[in-house]
Amino acid sequence: MRILISCVLLVILSLGLVFALEQAPFGSNQIDNADKPGRFYLNQGMEKTGAANVVTSVVVTYRGFDTLGEVTILFIAAIGLGAVFHSRKKVKRYEKEKQSASLILQTGCRFLFPLIVLFGTYVFIHGHLSPGGGFQGGVIIASAFLLLFLGCEEKKIPMKSMNTVESLAGIIFVGIGLAGLYWGESFLENFLPRGMDYMLLSGGVIPIIYIAIGFKVGAELAGIVAGLIERNP
Amino acid sequence: MFHQSTYFVGCVGLMIVGLYTMLTKKNLIKVIIGLSLFETGIYLLLVVVGYIQGATAPIFSRTTGSPAEMVDPTPQALVLTAIVIGVAVLALALSLTIRLHEHYGTLNLRKIRGLKW
Amino acid sequence: MVAVLLIIVPLGLAFAMPLFNFVSKRIAAYLPIAAMVCNLILSILLLPSVMENTRIVILGGLPPPLGIHLVAGPLGVGLSGLISLVGLAVSIYAWGYIKQGAQDKYHALYLLLLSGATGAVLTGDLFNLFVFYEILCISSYALVAYLGDRNGVESAVKYLIQGSVGSGLILVGIAILYGMFGTLNMAQIAIHIDNVDSPALFLALVLLVTGFGVEAAIFPLNAWLPDAHSSAPSSISAILSGIAIKVGIYAVARVLFTIFGVAVVFQYVLLLGLATLLIGEICAFSQDNIKRMLAYSSVGQVGLIVFAMCIATPDGVGAGLLQLVSHALSKAVLFLGVGYLVARSGSMSLSSLNGIGKRMPVVCFACVVAAFSLVGLPPFVGFAGKFLIVRAALAGKSIFFTVLIGIVFLATVVEGAYFFRMVQTLYFKDAKRQIEYKKVPASASIPIMALVVFIVALGVYPDVLLPYLKSAAADLLNKAGYIKEVLG
Repeated sequence: MRILISCVLLVILSLGLVFALEQAPFGSNQIDNADKPGRFYLNQGMEKTGAANVVTSVVVTYRGFDTLGEVTILFIAAIGLGAVFHSRKKVKRYEKEKQSASLILQTGCRFLFPLIVLFGTYVFIHGHLSPGGGFQGGVIIASAFLLLFLGCEEKKIPMKSMNTVESLAGIIFVGIGLAGLYWGESFLENFLPRGMDYMLLSGGVIPIIYIAIGFKVGAELAGIVAGLIERNP
Repeated sequence: MFHQSTYFVGCVGLMIVGLYTMLTKKNLIKVIIGLSLFETGIYLLLVVVGYIQGATAPIFSRTTGSPAEMVDPTPQALVLTAIVIGVAVLALALSLTIRLHEHYGTLNLRKIRGLKW
Repeated sequence: MVAVLLIIVPLGLAFAMPLFNFVSKRIAAYLPIAAMVCNLILSILLLPSVMENTRIVILGGLPPPLGIHLVAGPLGVGLSGLISLVGLAVSIYAWGYIKQGAQDKYHALYLLLLSGATGAVLTGDLFNLFVFYEILCISSYALVAYLGDRNGVESAVKYLIQGSVGSGLILVGIAILYGMFGTLNMAQIAIHIDNVDSPALFLALVLLVTGFGVEAAIFPLNAWLPDAHSSAPSSISAILSGIAIKVGIYAVARVLFTIFGVAVVFQYVLLLGLATLLIGEICAFSQDNIKRMLAYSSVGQVGLIVFAMCIATPDGVGAGLLQLVSHALSKAVLFLGVGYLVARSGSMSLSSLNGIGKRMPVVCFACVVAAFSLVGLPPFVGFAGKFLIVRAALAGKSIFFTVLIGIVFLATVVEGAYFFRMVQTLYFKDAKRQIEYKKVPASASIPIMALVVFIVALGVYPDVLLPYLKSAAADLLNKAGYIKEVLG
């Protein structure tokens, strides 16, 4: 009965959706007009911000307020997880079966850890030039921590410095936004010179914000992973 | 190669599979997997909406790049935001699931009925 | 330009919370108070100037159709004032009330919840509205489960699953709108919608209203509300009932009136509101658990507000907004007061509160005032709200609305019945067992009494609010005016 009702509901929903999407056919140019934001970003984004990756300039400056919101949401998830787990009793069930990993595995993880962190750093520093950016780089860094948790059982991450990094990066993001308000005309406006095109130092505040986001996302996701596999000190 | 609405059918299909999983499965973890599938379908839909026939990625470089041949960058920025929101919800949902399992010893939603309607 | 600080100050303080913790653990409880005082002052200072003309706050250096922008109109700034007023009262209350769990995390989540609510009512971009709405929702999922007890976690899971499906539907709606028009600016979408007549738009409307309706708890989508509101810590119940639902209603109203503005749909949403009202009040009547009773009463009140707004005349929307203010103040007082009653008697069952009114006179008096205001008795603000709703509904002199108002009166009678039962329990029944009397701390009684003063003062002089309500209603209903203000 339950299955029948849900099937009927879903068929109606899917027919409606496919029908509605026919109105916006696949591959059509919906930003045909110069006053559409997407067209404007493509035509003038490079000149205005100096970032070669248009998506980055959209994410960090034009729709920067969304990005601030999304960083906030990750922050909420990290502290929400801490709040939910705060009152739980320490589970000791898995203690007996625990067996440390072999030497090869441990050494391999320790060897790979700095390389993965380096790659993550590369991705978020070059976010305005190539595919990638703060979120992607942060996730790569968090995956390095995940590898460390899986391979080297006894490693603990220093939660205190993680929190400091998280908090400082957030304050830097908000601070740059306020500086834009102070020296420019609006919140999150670019107030630095845009630099040489296609060079690392281009795009004004974009690389700085993306570095802050990279640190913040890395610290938050590593904290979330640590919380979920009960490795909080 | 494909008919153009194939892409929409793929996205909507993924969403429907996710919703079906959420509606019919009893295990909370499976419900969360369904939620994840549903959200993945939406991300694909957003990306597909921004695609322009024959255009490339919106990244300039020294050798290539004319704005007329690039896809719309806005939906890609939206998808980035949506994915991060999805990750946050997923993390919170899994942490709540762990706590729920500690209280009830089961994840079967038919047995978790502490609160009446 | 100052309006952006309404969002940035709480956000920045929440980001800085871990750093303040290194200095002292006790600072955490003061930060929400500081942020809300700041927001309250800013909103009050901004309100007179935005009454005259709406301010557009540009973000990221691009003018409205291209970048994200905030619309500091009478409605947005007025709602943010209401949010900071209730938020201030609840944060002073929480200072003495929250003693268990990770307190710094509680206060950070609480600040983020409020900044999400403020951002959602101020923004002028559809996707940005979604992002702030998600900030509000995700922090409330975490806060409902804050105590980590059985009921809290279970209701948080229910809330999270339903809320996430709702947000997914909002995203699909946004994707359809973007695919058709190539823009996310609410004013620009509103222009395009006038020129296009397509069934796809109807689907987008349904998806958006359904998604935002989950938070607003409109009838078929309200299953999560009684559980979540009754299992959360009382300070959070107050903020969820007082603020979070209102943001949902605001979003639904914005989508219905400003973006789409299709008069045909109003009738259906109006009937949904009426159904919500009846079902909420009847379920509340049959409850024994006092917090569940208040939660169902919130469902009923949401129905009344939606009903009033969907009359879709300036008077109707204004009356709905006054009812919204009245419900935010009264329900906050009730949940805050009941929080201490429940903590002292040790049970949420209504019968365990027999005769507690003589022992805790201040809190019980406040609860009674708030309950009378919700029922709609004269010297309180609830009377003004309900009176204006009835007047607005009967203004058209149509038989349809006369019948509907009859149903609203019926629901009010039911509401009166259970609130008078509560008053009778509090004052006129003998206590079965001795309750240990402990004084309620000043951190609880001061904010409660302050809100009570507002309830009485606005009830005696509702004229103070009327000009604001009028321009806020115009902000919501006048689609052409909104487009003109945003796009110039």
